Amino acid sequence: MQPESRPAIFVVLATALAGLLAPLLANDRPILARVGGHLTAPALAELPIVGRLFDDPSANLVDWGAAPAPLQTGAPRVLLMPPVPYSYRGIHLDEALRPPSRSHWMGTDALGRDLLARVLHGASLSLLVGFGATALALLIGFCLGALAVMRGGLLDLLIVRVVDVVACFPPFVLALAFMAALGRGGVWPMVAGIGLSRWTTIARYVRGEILRHRGGAVWISARAAGAGGVRLVVRHLLPLLAAPLAVLASFGVANAIVLESGLSFLGFGVSPPAPSWGSILAEARGSLDAAWWPVFFPSAALVIVLSSLCAAAESAAAGESRVTRS
Amino acid sequence: MIPFLVRRALSSVPTLLGISVLTFAILNLLPNDPIQVWSGGGYYSAEAVEHLRSELRLEQSPAARYASWGLALLRGDLGRSMRDGRPVAAVIVSALPWTLLLNFCSVILIYGVAVPFGLFGASSPGSIADRLGRALLILLYAVPSFAAALLLQQWFAVRLGWLPLQGVPDRGATALGTTASLARHLLLPTICLALSGWALVARYARAAFRSALGREFLAVARAKGLSRLRASGHVVANTAVPFITLLATIVPGLAGGSVIVEQIFSLPGVGRLYLTSIEARDYPVVVGLTLLSAVLVLSGHLLVDVLYLVVDPRIRSGLLDERSDAA
Repeated sequence: MQPESRPAIFVVLATALAGLLAPLLANDRPILARVGGHLTAPALAELPIVGRLFDDPSANLVDWGAAPAPLQTGAPRVLLMPPVPYSYRGIHLDEALRPPSRSHWMGTDALGRDLLARVLHGASLSLLVGFGATALALLIGFCLGALAVMRGGLLDLLIVRVVDVVACFPPFVLALAFMAALGRGGVWPMVAGIGLSRWTTIARYVRGEILRHRGGAVWISARAAGAGGVRLVVRHLLPLLAAPLAVLASFGVANAIVLESGLSFLGFGVSPPAPSWGSILAEARGSLDAAWWPVFFPSAALVIVLSSLCAAAESAAAGESRVTRS
Repeated sequence: MIPFLVRRALSSVPTLLGISVLTFAILNLLPNDPIQVWSGGGYYSAEAVEHLRSELRLEQSPAARYASWGLALLRGDLGRSMRDGRPVAAVIVSALPWTLLLNFCSVILIYGVAVPFGLFGASSPGSIADRLGRALLILLYAVPSFAAALLLQQWFAVRLGWLPLQGVPDRGATALGTTASLARHLLLPTICLALSGWALVARYARAAFRSALGREFLAVARAKGLSRLRASGHVVANTAVPFITLLATIVPGLAGGSVIVEQIFSLPGVGRLYLTSIEARDYPVVVGLTLLSAVLVLSGHLLVDVLYLVVDPRIRSGLLDERSDAA
């Protein structure tokens, strides 16, 4: 890792972490509360995967937004609220389009939902789709690129043709079609749709690089040591390609995030009320004449994450060309 | 040169064939056929549905439809739009001028800003202005077109009221008025589309100019008494080749990006047609548009090869050598 790319990687990781922990950072349900004499953690129940461990039926019935009940025994008591005490879906029409203030740091949208909460929750979707789709694209691209060289012949010809065909489609349209075919409105169709439309660059690159290594020192010595095709590719050639693939991948994550937010912006994304930076911006279109904050903050989040990814990729690429030159 | 071009053009035929097959396959994988989409899930009578199905030939298998579509294509017929029965070619041609105009303006804007920028950066590398400029371009590169569109719309159309929010220009009383209205309507979409290209071209320009500035011909030109400006003309001529390649990588991206920009600015171009056709499951129009964009991408590659041959005599002779070797 290049030292100059550390701040950029830090920004991306921090955003990913914030997205992952969004239910704890922005929620109208407390992190820790006492209901009917026992401790409960309603906000934790919304975490992905581990959430069901904290699921508590008695806490689900409590209206946490109501005025605190008089201190009688057994009444629900809030012990610890999240730093942003609003949910991404909590509609408060009397609070609509409030400018940024001490209570709403990024202001509220046209339905009175706290924008900071929505931007935080949107981070998890954008980064999940960005990294998930890129991982899928890397997997498909690497496997097909390697397979083309290792098997050669007719299969190579076929794979090269398929890459040409898929690369000719505008990624936006291809992702849209795949998503529609896989079932609209979910996160995983989106990951699959974007991943399936973005693997061609990687496949071309991997095929070219492995072709370059064919018959070279690494290839011959690994073969001489008895490595089979799969072992040769995975153990000996993959490490050589890891650094340039990381550069391609970080641009890929940025592209996938742009694609995700663009699709969400046009209304083809994850079903509401789940926020995506793209869908928050789409909703902001309606209040374009009244408020700047619903446009500004999600855009700023996108620009910060995307420029960090690009900067990380750039410095990694620069570092790599330094290594190969010396 | 001609046989080379013919060979290159013929090699794209299987690709186009594959694209049409894949498009047909994806379209038939989509949930809901056109009639289900139009009827909103069953507000048409059974006879009406039956009638429409046979009229649109939806009761045939996808393979049979592909075969008849392919046969019609050999006669130069792309079929008719399922929505309004107009010929697909006419539907596309009526949308094409907007997209072409938008993309043409964007390419001009990208190169018009990025090339001088790169030249400036290359002439004073490492200076504060150079580094700030590069950081600014990376930042602009990271602004998605729709976010830029909203920010620009809010500032220039809503706040300041200088430019129209969206839509197509009105036909003015005079030609001048129409042109002015057109320019005002296209300015924001063009900027949004150009954003991502600036950083790319400027970086290329900077690198290319830097390597060219260190070469001997420049010293010779300056020593012969050419002004700085005339000399930089020689630099540009010597770096033309990478810019041509770059054009081929930018244009498909622009065409893809214009889907979203046309949608935001309500421009009735090809991108918007693509989106509405997928939504309405207008199969023939989607297939036609996909083939069109594929032909554009492939002929972009071909054009680059041709321009290489025209611009750079070294490549031309290299190609001829290669051929005489083969023969």
